[in-house]
Amino acid sequence: MCYSCDDFVNVDLPTTQLSSNLVFEDYNTATAAVLAVYAQIRDKGLTTGNPSGMQIKLGEYTDELQFFGAGGQTDASFYSNIVLPNNNTVKNWWNNTYSQIYATNAILEGVQKSTALNTNQKNQLTGEALFCRALLHFYLTNLYGDIPYITNTNYNTNTTIPKTSVNIVYEKLEADLLIAEALLNLEYLNSERIRPNKATVQALLARLYLYSGKWSAAENAASAILNNTAMYEGTQSLDEVFLKDSFSTIWQLSPNADGENTLEAGSNIFMQGPPPGSALSENFVNSFESGDQRRTSWIKAVTNGTTTWHHAFKYKTFENTGTSVEYSIMFRTAEIYLIRAEARAQLGNLTDAKIDLNRIRNTAGLNNTTAMSMQDIIKAILKERHAELFTEGHRFFDLKRTLMLNEVLTPIKPGWDAKDILFPIPDTELLLNPNLNPQNPGY
Amino acid sequence: MKNYLLFKAWASHRLPYLTTLLLLFWVTISSSQNVPISGTVTDAQGTLPGVNVTLKNKTIGTFTDIEGKFQINATSEDTLVVSSMGYTAVELLVGNQTVFNITLQPDETTLQEVLINAGYYKVKDKERTGSIAKITAKDIETQPVTNFLATMQGRMAGVNITQSSGIAGSGFDIKIRGQNSLRTDGNAPLYIIDGVPYASDPLGVGYTATVMALPTSPLNNINPGDIESIEILKDADATAIYGSRGANGVVLITTKKGKAGKTKFSINVNRGTAQVTRFADLMGTKQYLEMRREAFANDGITEYPANAYDINGTWNPERETDWQKQLIGGTAQITNVQSAIAGGSEGTQFLISGNYGKETTVFPGDFNYQKGNIRVNLTHTAPDKRFKTTFAAGYTHQNNNQPAIDYTIEARMIAPNAPALYNNDGSLNWENGTFNNPLRNLKGEFLAKTYDLVSNLLLSYEIIPNLEIKSNFGFTDLRHKESSSKPSTIYDPAWEVGPEYSLISMGNTTRQSWVIEPQLNYKLKIKELLKVEALVGSTFQEQIGSQLIQRASGFTSNSLINNLAAASNVTVDGNETSEYRYQAFFGRINLNYNSKYIINLTGRRDGSSRFGPGRQFASFGAVGAAWLFGAESIFNKGPLSFGKLRASYGITGNDQIGNYQFLDTYSATGGNYQGIIGLLPTRLFNPNFAWETNKKIELGLEVGLFKDRIFITAAVFRNQSSNQLVGTPLAATTGFTSIQANLDASVQNSGIELTTRTVNVETKNWTWTTNFNFTMLKNELLSFSGLESSTYRNQFVIGQPLNIQKMYQFEGVNPTTGLYQFKDADGDGRITPEGDRTAVVDFNPQFYGGLQNQIKFKNWQLDFLFQFIKQKNTNTAAVGYPGTTGNQASALSDHWQNSGDTATYQRFTSGADEEAMQAQVNYYSSTGIITDASFIRLKNIAVSYNMPSKWLGNASCKFVVEGQNLVTFTPYKGADPEFIVTNSLPPLKIITAGIQLSF
Repeated sequence: MCYSCDDFVNVDLPTTQLSSNLVFEDYNTATAAVLAVYAQIRDKGLTTGNPSGMQIKLGEYTDELQFFGAGGQTDASFYSNIVLPNNNTVKNWWNNTYSQIYATNAILEGVQKSTALNTNQKNQLTGEALFCRALLHFYLTNLYGDIPYITNTNYNTNTTIPKTSVNIVYEKLEADLLIAEALLNLEYLNSERIRPNKATVQALLARLYLYSGKWSAAENAASAILNNTAMYEGTQSLDEVFLKDSFSTIWQLSPNADGENTLEAGSNIFMQGPPPGSALSENFVNSFESGDQRRTSWIKAVTNGTTTWHHAFKYKTFENTGTSVEYSIMFRTAEIYLIRAEARAQLGNLTDAKIDLNRIRNTAGLNNTTAMSMQDIIKAILKERHAELFTEGHRFFDLKRTLMLNEVLTPIKPGWDAKDILFPIPDTELLLNPNLNPQNPGY
Repeated sequence: MKNYLLFKAWASHRLPYLTTLLLLFWVTISSSQNVPISGTVTDAQGTLPGVNVTLKNKTIGTFTDIEGKFQINATSEDTLVVSSMGYTAVELLVGNQTVFNITLQPDETTLQEVLINAGYYKVKDKERTGSIAKITAKDIETQPVTNFLATMQGRMAGVNITQSSGIAGSGFDIKIRGQNSLRTDGNAPLYIIDGVPYASDPLGVGYTATVMALPTSPLNNINPGDIESIEILKDADATAIYGSRGANGVVLITTKKGKAGKTKFSINVNRGTAQVTRFADLMGTKQYLEMRREAFANDGITEYPANAYDINGTWNPERETDWQKQLIGGTAQITNVQSAIAGGSEGTQFLISGNYGKETTVFPGDFNYQKGNIRVNLTHTAPDKRFKTTFAAGYTHQNNNQPAIDYTIEARMIAPNAPALYNNDGSLNWENGTFNNPLRNLKGEFLAKTYDLVSNLLLSYEIIPNLEIKSNFGFTDLRHKESSSKPSTIYDPAWEVGPEYSLISMGNTTRQSWVIEPQLNYKLKIKELLKVEALVGSTFQEQIGSQLIQRASGFTSNSLINNLAAASNVTVDGNETSEYRYQAFFGRINLNYNSKYIINLTGRRDGSSRFGPGRQFASFGAVGAAWLFGAESIFNKGPLSFGKLRASYGITGNDQIGNYQFLDTYSATGGNYQGIIGLLPTRLFNPNFAWETNKKIELGLEVGLFKDRIFITAAVFRNQSSNQLVGTPLAATTGFTSIQANLDASVQNSGIELTTRTVNVETKNWTWTTNFNFTMLKNELLSFSGLESSTYRNQFVIGQPLNIQKMYQFEGVNPTTGLYQFKDADGDGRITPEGDRTAVVDFNPQFYGGLQNQIKFKNWQLDFLFQFIKQKNTNTAAVGYPGTTGNQASALSDHWQNSGDTATYQRFTSGADEEAMQAQVNYYSSTGIITDASFIRLKNIAVSYNMPSKWLGNASCKFVVEGQNLVTFTPYKGADPEFIVTNSLPPLKIITAGIQLSF
């Protein structure tokens, strides 16, 4: 009798779920697990192009964007630099990013245990997962300082895990990326450049080395990408840089469905003033050199007759177009040229630094730089980064790594103070895991 | 002499007492024309001693003797009145007859003889060993509400029910004898409708029902008008037979059935109106703008920012609008029609009923909630009385159309000088892009359609006398579809956002279940004194569910927003199917000696698919005992008419954890990428969790005095639940927020319940009865091994209730800085969540109850119920940051302005003062936000008038006026003290008038 009743209460797996073991016994389902991570990176947390992502929020936090929304204090917290430990955005960034990191670790463990995947398949998926894990930790450590570096799915240890200092995080990042670099191929799995390849890993390595002042490593990583001229060089106008088949793109995120375009376009573009959210800060709009075509091609003015506001117009399409025309670009070669320029300048190779810098300037319709000294060239490169990479999530990190946050922001932002260089660890997380103490200074 | 000893004992205590009364009230007068009349009084079991035999309108009376015989002198015009407690009185004209043999029928309306539904069996109220509370149709019918849970509020001891919002179709929170489980979603009772388990799990998710405070509950499907009675099983004796599902109590719903007799048609029509009970007391324009100016001045900001439209001159500083009145101050129209046809022969009875109800909203716009249902009940007994069958089926359709969001929070936050809602041409006013017009949401709709079938068939056959085999077959089928839309029209048209930006979130839930419960029932009498009832049975139950949650965007036209095919982008957020299987054996043995000493043994062995292999089965059981001491001879004298002492002890369980939690799986919820649906890990998994167990002990005393005109029930109970099954919170670094596990923790609910029923006045024209119930409950976390090292340390404290919050100890406003101060409990010079949230605030009610009165005068009847509750809660008048954009409570006039001020509220800030902002954040997590939320509410009042039967013949006609939540007495500072989620629409006060016709 009890045999039969045991039977009665044993139920089959729900048709909408797949046993974790089985996911990695088939290349298609294992790939779907990796693709889910990209979809999460596109839609949620830090990296999303939505107004809650860091491209918009950090633009408001620094000097790129001016906030106009009337939605109350919470929306204005980044613009006013009053970001408290209970801030929802700060919490969502933290939680979503670690949730994405869990997914990468689950892939790494699943692929390793798999008996059905072949070595090439394992290398591909492992490389992509390691890259994503590194990318996510990279952003976290630059925003929150010391953070836990999570490399497995063990919740018993991960719920009490202590913080790791930024230096060690960088070492772990580098190690992960070097493995990923070796595992991934130069060729994209897909002609649309929507799966990270070797160059994508090298791009993050170049950025990592730049941030940590490892100039020659940065230069080498950048060159490894840029030397592949067949893939990353060509002729296109500024209006074509953010199209989905742009040759300067190293890695971009495919939209949720064909016909959709980027979340970034919807977050930046507005049709009428005052803007419902943020507009480009007027100081920034006025800082372009005359003749800079980016000022006209990548920025658009909106007026109500008396006042004029500007918005970023890099991505131009927010409506559904039947067939998508723009994808969210995560890495593109302009940044790599500027990384190499800066690295070369720091290494004293001013001539080659200027070649890289001028390449970007000339593309924008500007003449060669007039800077001569190493210091001036570096300054010119930083200014160029602002003009080239605005609203792509670089500004805060550039000011931070060059120790210029206070100098630039104190005069223009009444709420700014020195502690704002780091975001607070969410208060709920400090409660759940006291090993994350102490809270970042000043909060 | 059947049952001679039994009746002897009964009569021997009863007679002298009644004789005393006789002496008090009656004077015997003998009449000269009288002849002696004699007779015998019996009931189905045999002769009845101690029966009162009187002559109508005369002060002459006597009692039957031990053998049920009586003698009395009467004239031929006299009418004999034969009455006894627990039986229907009989009146007979004497005429020429001198010998009467009278058979009395048990009076089911008398308290002690009422049969109580205990689920698998029925028991006479006086002989029950368990703790069961009951309300019947006569209490339910006086209440103009659409959810049956509302009808129980304030009427039952040990049952605390909170309404989540005043929006039609919104849910209720019910706790029977407190919170047993650490999981907030693991405390629902088991609902059984006519023997069929009814799953109460929510039907949607938060973002498909954006207007509701809680996800949609299926319990709205049950039509209060169909309910004959609701029994709530509370203690181990009553609930252990439900085993693993009995820990949180069992709610048994019995629907109305037809009665033998003339076919009767009835129709009730009710119409009325409803409004919000209470508004929050907010600032007007003058006070608001003063606050804003002062805030900027405090922050040293002289030039108002471009987006401070309320104060920088963009908006008219003279305008003043009461936004609560505008947005939630409307009047809802309520209509309800209920009709039934019922009747039948001795062998077959039927009832067919139909109901339609409609309720509009208090919000602006054209929204309503509609509910219609039909029910059929058939009962048949074969002529030989051995075969019996009952069939019941009810089908309900609900159609709920509400705005997509609850306006309450916006009504409280919009600046009082915000511009007009409409332009002169009737279009929405966006004030040149500066005003986020709240009516933008009018075009966003919450649409819900529910179809629900509950049916059951009961077959029974008496194989040999007293041995009955029966089986219950139940089937339920629920289909629910809901959506919340966000059309592009919620944006300022100047943004030129078209329907390609319109969004809709849709949830589609289905739930089918069947249950088969074969049972064998045996009754045995040993030497007339010992009655034995035995029951064995088995349950097979399966529930299959599916839930599809989709989001769609990119429409070509907003009029197509409910059509997924018209969306260019459809995302599946969740597509779950689930199968829940449940299997059990249960049994009961009831020993009843002389109707004085009763022992009730119940047990159940349960298996549930919700647990991993090897952990699916567990056993539960209870013992209950009762001693009807009122029947002992020492109580013969004195006013005691009934006395019972009962006790029970047993173990029940809880398996409310959702399905498949022990499995390690991936789900297709990862979003679309590269044209492929991503797979994401579903959960952290733990294959080793098992049942939560709940040990219950109860001692009860029931006493009736003065022929039960005063009836008191008192109970003390203690429930301990251990092996707690919980989703342990985890740090986000694990990738998830919780994991299911059993914790070595134990929770105790102990308390007392008191109910009284008194018949204050009972005369020919007047009756006045009063019911009172009172519950005092203590909830305590007894033990929790490893609490300090677990993530629960922020939430729980050993020795304290579960429903607490650890908060900062508020220390008022610092007169020098003007900022809120909090106790630095760890003395580190900083206020930090982990070190300083040491003040424990208990959100459980300290006590609650209700006082109900019923007064009848001739054809008039008045019912009213006061519900009371003593509790603390958060002050919902406090929202946002005072001084920033957004209205505030008018009480903030008492705020700090200058050094040295002693004020209740801190200094204002425009948002730029980080210290003040942080202090405000801390304030919301401090004891400063806690206020007394006790209330006494006139929960229900109903006045009815029955047209005299002489005007109508066989028909009857009744006029009723009913009110719900009409008056509330409370010291609460916010709007209404009854809420679950802050700033949801308060409950409504309802007045309806109606007519009830039957013929």
